[in-house]
Amino acid sequence: MPFLMPVRDKIFGVLIAIGGCLTVWWAVSWAGLVSPFLLPPPVKVWRAFVALWSSGELLHHTWASAMRVGIGYGLAVSVAIPLAIVFSASGIVRVVAEPLLEFLRQIPPLALMPLLMLWLGIGEAQKIGIIILACFFPVFLGMRGGIAQADRKLIEVGKVCGLNRWEIIRRIVMPSALPALVVGLRISLGYSWRALVGAELIASSVGLGYLITDAQDLARTDIVLVGILVIGVVGLATDFLLKRLCARLAPWLAGDLEMARA
Amino acid sequence: MLELSNIGKHYDVAGHRVAALSGIDLTLTRGSFTTIVGRSGCGKTTLLRILAGLASPDTGEVLSGGPAPRIGVVFQEARLMPWLKVAENIAFGLRKRVDRKTIDERVSAILDLTGLSAFRSAMPAQLSGGMAQRVALARALVMEPDLLLMDEPFAALDAFTRRSMQNELVSLWQARKPTIVFVTHDVEEAVVLGQTVIELSEGRVVGRQTVDIPYPRDPTGVEASLCRRAVLARLLTPATPDRMQTKPD
Ligand SMILES: Nc1ncnc2c1ncn2[C@@H]1O[C@H](COP(=O)(O)OP(=O)(O)O)[C@@H](O)[C@H]1O
Ligand SMILES: [Mg+2]
Repeated sequence: MPFLMPVRDKIFGVLIAIGGCLTVWWAVSWAGLVSPFLLPPPVKVWRAFVALWSSGELLHHTWASAMRVGIGYGLAVSVAIPLAIVFSASGIVRVVAEPLLEFLRQIPPLALMPLLMLWLGIGEAQKIGIIILACFFPVFLGMRGGIAQADRKLIEVGKVCGLNRWEIIRRIVMPSALPALVVGLRISLGYSWRALVGAELIASSVGLGYLITDAQDLARTDIVLVGILVIGVVGLATDFLLKRLCARLAPWLAGDLEMARA
Repeated sequence: MLELSNIGKHYDVAGHRVAALSGIDLTLTRGSFTTIVGRSGCGKTTLLRILAGLASPDTGEVLSGGPAPRIGVVFQEARLMPWLKVAENIAFGLRKRVDRKTIDERVSAILDLTGLSAFRSAMPAQLSGGMAQRVALARALVMEPDLLLMDEPFAALDAFTRRSMQNELVSLWQARKPTIVFVTHDVEEAVVLGQTVIELSEGRVVGRQTVDIPYPRDPTGVEASLCRRAVLARLLTPATPDRMQTKPD
């Protein structure tokens, strides 16, 4: 079965993919098919990477972006989960707040950028605001979907065991909602990373998005490429860490985790 | 002792009034093993849910002489919490009532009794259907119920596993003497297990059969076969046709 390859084969596949891309990239620039300004050869990008790394600049920008994602994501998650529980528990809250949230959900976070810049300035608050907007809904909706899907048959087991309403929520409904929540958490993490870089491209003085636009102004395509590669790698790494964390906290979810990509 | 008198319950299905149970009178003496048998849709689950307190009857009442009985329920599906290990699933209902140490002791004892000791740390997804149902039975037994309600608990099992689970259930009952109400659509199973077989058809009790055969019973023996034939004969006579009525406007 191709889905259950051993780790060794997976690593092998990844190495082949990377090697193949590098070879094509190198061949294209060596043959002079594109101008070295538009697509600098791998060696040049590598040198730019080494220079940025040793000057500490790369770490500085990466750290700045990661901090924003960390804070924004953490805040969004800690608001979205309790709010989802309140929504699921209270009909009145649902009736009043649902239309409002449905309306907000239609607006892409980046479309709110101008407003956020006016309200929050162009500092950290605005970046974190963008991230919260970007990752609130997948977590919120995931949690609510998970609660709604909780198996009535398991809830009956709780009733037969004499659990009260709160105990049923805590001991049956919450664990039942976990698979859907994990999907939401994973989607959100991807969204937050993308929205942040978008925000940093528009107005920022530090961060990976800023590194890219700044390099563009200086016509340093090699640095632009370093920035793009680092964004991709950090995104992969955080997704991997989240997956590992979920696998540890909820080992029975192994199957659900693979579906959670977006 | 548990006394059901004139229990009735109906459902509204697409504008029709469907009587699931009507005029059920039943006495369950303490420590007795009663089986309820009937074709699918005759109201067995509804009756059991009323006894379990998961549904309330439209008419009639359930009276218990003395304090309310502790109830254990085994459903047709195992209904285990997929996020809990076997031992944690068994302890699920205990957590509320007794302290940590007592829980551990009781769970260990039940694991031994039901032959699940080797599986105590397994997750439900790793269990076969028979093992999962055994865990469900253990989860009900660990509460030390006075009244054990079982809704076709072995229906999804293969014939071999079902046979051994039936024998284990009888031994457990003989050892602890809870009052058992066991629902099944299988006449043979009803006769092999119950001291009394209640025959249910279209929401009414259409017959009772006392089964006076010592345990463990041989389902192919002469006496069991005679009982089975008597039960089947009553269940197969056509019942009253006035069950579905159009709602008067
Ligand atoms: N929740 C429900 N809504 C509507 N009709 C129901 C419901 N539960 C049971 N019934 C109806 O009540 C009758 C008895 O059902 P049930 O007690 O489940 O029978 P059994 O367990 O013997 O198969 C059936 O006609 C069934 O369709
Ligand atoms: Mg049923």
